[in-house]
Amino acid sequence: MKSTKKTHDFKALELKFDKDSVSPHVIYFKEHTVREHTADKPSGRTLFIINVPPYADEKGLTNAFREAGKVVSVILTSKPNSTETKTDTFLDEPTKPTFKVCYLVFSKVADLDKALKLTELQPMNSNEHQIKVGISKWIEEYNNSIEHPKALKSKIESFMQDYDKKMAAQQEQEKELEKADDEGWVTVTKGGKIQSFARTEKVKNKIMEKEEKNKKRKELKNFYTFQIRESKMKHIVSLRQKFEEDKKKIAQIKQSRRFKPF
Amino acid sequence: MRNSVSEDDTESNILNENGKRPKDSDGQVKKRIKTKSLYRQPTANELNRLQETEQLFNSNLFRLQVEEVLEEVKVKEKTIKRFTEWFNNLKTYLLSITNDETEYDLSEKSFVNKLKIQLPVCRQIQKTKVMFKFHKFHDVDVVGSYALGCGIKSKLIVDLQITVPAETYAKNDSINYKYHLKRAAYLAYIASYLSKYEHIDEINYSYLNSETKPIIIIKPSGKLAKAVTVNLDLVCEAEAYKLHRFAPDRNNLRESWLLGTDKKDTNETLTPTPYYNSSVLRDLTANVNQEFLKQIILNSENLKQAIVLLKIWVRQRKLKVSGYIISMLVAYFVQNKRVNNIMSSYQIVRNIWIALKSSEWDVKGITLCKENSSLDEYHNHFPLVFLDKTGCYNIFWELCKGTYYALRRESCLAIEILDDVKINSFIPLFMKPITPLIQFDHIIGFKDLKAVQDAVISRAVSTSKANYGLDLLTMVTNILYDLLMKGLGQRVDLVLQLVDHEFSWPINNVMENAKKNGYKELLSFGLILNPEMLSSTVDRGPSADLPEAEQFRDFWGEKSELRRFQDGSITEACVWDGQGTVPKQIVDYLMKVKYGVCSVFHWSRLLSPLVPSSSSSSSVRSSADVLRTRLADLELPLDISSVQGVSPVFSSTEPAPPLRHSEHNPRRRGDASLIKDQGEFRLPPYVRANTLIIELIHSGKWPGELQAFRCLKAAFHLQIAEKLKSQFNLATLARPEYLDVLQDGLVFRLKIAHTKEITLLRRELVKGVVTLRETDESLQLYCDTVIMPKLRGALHGLDRRYSAFAPTACLFKRWLSSHLLHVPGAAAELLVAYIFLQPAPLVAPRDYDTGLYRVLTLLAQHDWGKDPLVVDFNGDMTREEMSELETKYREISPRPHVFIVTPFDGECPGACSGGIGPEVTSRAVTLARAALGHAEEALHMMKDDILGLFIPSLVGYDVIIHLFPSLVPLYSHRVGANRLQPVNDDPGSAELIPVVEFNPVELYLEELRSAYDEFAVFFNDPYGGDVIAVLWRPSVEEERQLEVLNANALKPVSVKENSYKVNLDAIVEDFKILGKGLVKEIVVNNN
Repeated sequence: MKSTKKTHDFKALELKFDKDSVSPHVIYFKEHTVREHTADKPSGRTLFIINVPPYADEKGLTNAFREAGKVVSVILTSKPNSTETKTDTFLDEPTKPTFKVCYLVFSKVADLDKALKLTELQPMNSNEHQIKVGISKWIEEYNNSIEHPKALKSKIESFMQDYDKKMAAQQEQEKELEKADDEGWVTVTKGGKIQSFARTEKVKNKIMEKEEKNKKRKELKNFYTFQIRESKMKHIVSLRQKFEEDKKKIAQIKQSRRFKPF
Repeated sequence: MRNSVSEDDTESNILNENGKRPKDSDGQVKKRIKTKSLYRQPTANELNRLQETEQLFNSNLFRLQVEEVLEEVKVKEKTIKRFTEWFNNLKTYLLSITNDETEYDLSEKSFVNKLKIQLPVCRQIQKTKVMFKFHKFHDVDVVGSYALGCGIKSKLIVDLQITVPAETYAKNDSINYKYHLKRAAYLAYIASYLSKYEHIDEINYSYLNSETKPIIIIKPSGKLAKAVTVNLDLVCEAEAYKLHRFAPDRNNLRESWLLGTDKKDTNETLTPTPYYNSSVLRDLTANVNQEFLKQIILNSENLKQAIVLLKIWVRQRKLKVSGYIISMLVAYFVQNKRVNNIMSSYQIVRNIWIALKSSEWDVKGITLCKENSSLDEYHNHFPLVFLDKTGCYNIFWELCKGTYYALRRESCLAIEILDDVKINSFIPLFMKPITPLIQFDHIIGFKDLKAVQDAVISRAVSTSKANYGLDLLTMVTNILYDLLMKGLGQRVDLVLQLVDHEFSWPINNVMENAKKNGYKELLSFGLILNPEMLSSTVDRGPSADLPEAEQFRDFWGEKSELRRFQDGSITEACVWDGQGTVPKQIVDYLMKVKYGVCSVFHWSRLLSPLVPSSSSSSSVRSSADVLRTRLADLELPLDISSVQGVSPVFSSTEPAPPLRHSEHNPRRRGDASLIKDQGEFRLPPYVRANTLIIELIHSGKWPGELQAFRCLKAAFHLQIAEKLKSQFNLATLARPEYLDVLQDGLVFRLKIAHTKEITLLRRELVKGVVTLRETDESLQLYCDTVIMPKLRGALHGLDRRYSAFAPTACLFKRWLSSHLLHVPGAAAELLVAYIFLQPAPLVAPRDYDTGLYRVLTLLAQHDWGKDPLVVDFNGDMTREEMSELETKYREISPRPHVFIVTPFDGECPGACSGGIGPEVTSRAVTLARAALGHAEEALHMMKDDILGLFIPSLVGYDVIIHLFPSLVPLYSHRVGANRLQPVNDDPGSAELIPVVEFNPVELYLEELRSAYDEFAVFFNDPYGGDVIAVLWRPSVEEERQLEVLNANALKPVSVKENSYKVNLDAIVEDFKILGKGLVKEIVVNNN
């Protein structure tokens, strides 16, 4: 019953694309309340919206809620999450249109209350704003994707510089760790002087294989009578196994009624 | 288990040798029985069987399958019981017929009036005055396969035989079809009796092969009718005539009678009538041969099994070889000690195939009779010779040369299939039906067969007219067959006549009248082409000064001309046009010149409008070669070690290969054109990039972090681009992921590949240990950069080896896409490759039409979801590897529906066929079946427009999105559109890289799929399809609850109960919003 209660907090309103929209999506929103508020989603002023249509953009949503008050910032993400993770990637991940969630931050607490009392939202394409969709969007994307070689070059250079700096820092840190700490402990790292093997699966498997081999080498295969007997039995067993396998195969073919030739 | 007794003894001996063992093993057995494991003690029987299988059969699997199929086709006990009862009653009834003392003149109506049914022969025979008197027969026998115990359950026919007493026939009845007329009268007499018999549902006349020798077809009453049809045939007592009267050089059919001329017989030389003679001889010798067969086969289980297997084999191939001939052949080989009953059925069948393979019965006939050795005599009169026990009757008299050659060819193939250890040879040999559609590369038909027949008959020589008598179709078939064989010569591996003239009619109707409704004789010829001669346009004849040259000129008429060849010889030759297929031209020419027939139907290359010309693919390849050498000349920090093409165009399997473009576009950035976004939008011509994968020489200095790695890769792209520009003045555009180069007006996309990137993508930390896990991204990269270059190379090799491969692949891809089936290109190409690499039971198709039907058959027949498909390019994979793959496949969960493996897959088997869902597969299978049915029908009706195969049905989709055709790239490639002429090659004039691969439809689909994948599936034809078909997923109808993580596209139904539904109307409106400018109209089907 917990979920029912939770969903009832949401207020549902239709969000129109433009004023001619006939059957718009319904968006659901409520005040953003979590235990720990981050700076970008301040407590009391943030509206949490779910089911935001794929094409909606920041300006459009601001437009939709403009009757409630001034919107300071709009955060659109695909999944609700409290902490912002921003890894620095060389390539920008392409944004794919999906249904999103949105955090709308108003300038005043009162605006949020107003927003929660709204009975109608303004269309997104209003107030001289046009969301770019369709052909014009794709053309823009294509043209933007073409970079001048110089631009690309500077981008690469700056990224590599950052990377080198980062790597140097990391190495520095590792070196630090190599030194004995207060209690005399030394941390073994990849880059250090002390030889150690890499902790990867590949290396692990290799070691295990070697062990196996060693074990096998120590064994005598046909020393005792029972060993010989067993090896004979094994031959029969393998024949049988093959037979059983074939039988299974036949059963399978039979199942698909392949034995009816005509 | 014949030797089981002796085996038992040795087994127990071994056990007794060791004093300790019996006790020991007893204890073990007890334990083992409990667990019922594989370690139980083997029994003698079991050991014996295991051993026997190894020696006598190909493999366990083969043996088990043989057993299965024999069990499957065995006539049921119930049926046998029912039939025996029914037959005994029938026999008593028939034997109650008494002698009829009245003598009838068969040329008059009195006999027919008395019987109240019609005679089962044509009017022409009835014109002779023949006096007929019915003499009682003594017995009714069950003969043929049912009597020998080698019948096949499906469409079981039991042959009954009544021996007509010798006194029925007078001495000179042997000539001019008098024998046949009396035989027909005798049959009618019996039929009139049978028509009053109560345990018969239906009784009809019919004939086997020849219209002059009718039989009665009986449908028993009751439950038996479903299982059995009974054929009642008449034979004659051997005493009726001396056999030598029907020796092949004797004449028994007078031309004067046949042609109705008044010439006296004495004035003409009597031409031999071997064909006519044989038709009488068959009746005279039937009993002797039947007895002989019984003696050899009746008590030999293994021979019987072998016969059944051979019969299944022949029936699957639709060869007109009767069970009788097969049994006689087996009996012959038994008599010649090539096979015996101690052999297993597998060994017998194999030996017979080997014997058939090396047989030359067209020049060296065989005989069952030990005394007679005048085979040469028979060879003069028959195309094929196999003499029976009496040494007079040629069992092969009705067998056409084409059928024999086909049989021999099939035997060759059968041995090849058996010897291929890598496949389960049983399935292609016995389980796969072969239709003309998938077997022949070219089928010749005649729309107006009657006219052709008349034309041929009017120009036939009188000797053959007399020989074949009233069997005109047989005569025409043989004459045309000889003509085709002579005309096509080396160009064909096989010509096979396809005759269909089966007919049965009610006994109270005259044959001519019955034929008027619904009966159609069909004659066509199937050709299997010789791959080596496909492209040659010249047929060289004999040297001009030889006497054969005269014959050559006679045969070819004005087409023959004197030619001087490069090797200096001057010979007669025929030169054909290189445009169309040569066999078509030859057949058209010969039919016109020889018989004045103009309308010959050709079932060959009907899909040519959809096949791209190979020249554009090869020009891409040659430009790529230029680029490759230029790349090798570049000075880079790391040298380039290899450049490999991965786009389909590199194996000529691109249905819409790229053309050169020279565009004048004022908007540019660097070397690349931009799309004009001001003013009226016009779609830039669609330019496909040809992707090449670059590998650099090994270096340990690549960074161990993904983003840095990619950044460095981008730096390399940039550098290559700069060098190419500065050294060779090529237009380049570097991007982080790849670089585009304009070479000879074609855009090449170069990508650097390094396995480290794949490893980095797979990397994952589990408990501090670095483990490698396959992710979607890493799999994709592996597929694109490791498998594809090798695969593309192999496919290109296949393209060089089989000229039909690439066009077939193009057609198949087009077919899939035109039906909006979303199948990765590589998977489609592999399916096509499969039918070329493993064509069993056929040979690789020589032409693309046949190729397409073969792929569709594969698609329709393969057990998707149960069996993997292994495409083994150079025979690299061992049987062990294959079975390992099979078990591996069964263990994957969820099991992919389509699993195509190649030797290049390495650590990710089946990577090329990923992402084909069960829905797509089942729809593809259904469509393939329908397409084959459609083609089959078109072939039957002789329609040559079969492009309908490529027109999809849009029925059943929920929403259809119509797009503006002007914005659909490749719109001119759609089925039915006029082909655009390739733009003039003008390399060098282009300095700018055009707008590359800008495809609004593709972009739109991507957005739709990314946003609405959980609600709907989208279908589109990438080759110029101007619609997108949408199917809602079944789950959209369900009522849902609103949750924060699951609120997409929901609209409230009633808030209080927390019940919500997917807002389909809004989604449809979204389609319009997202496709603004592209979408013309959206139609929602409410049904």
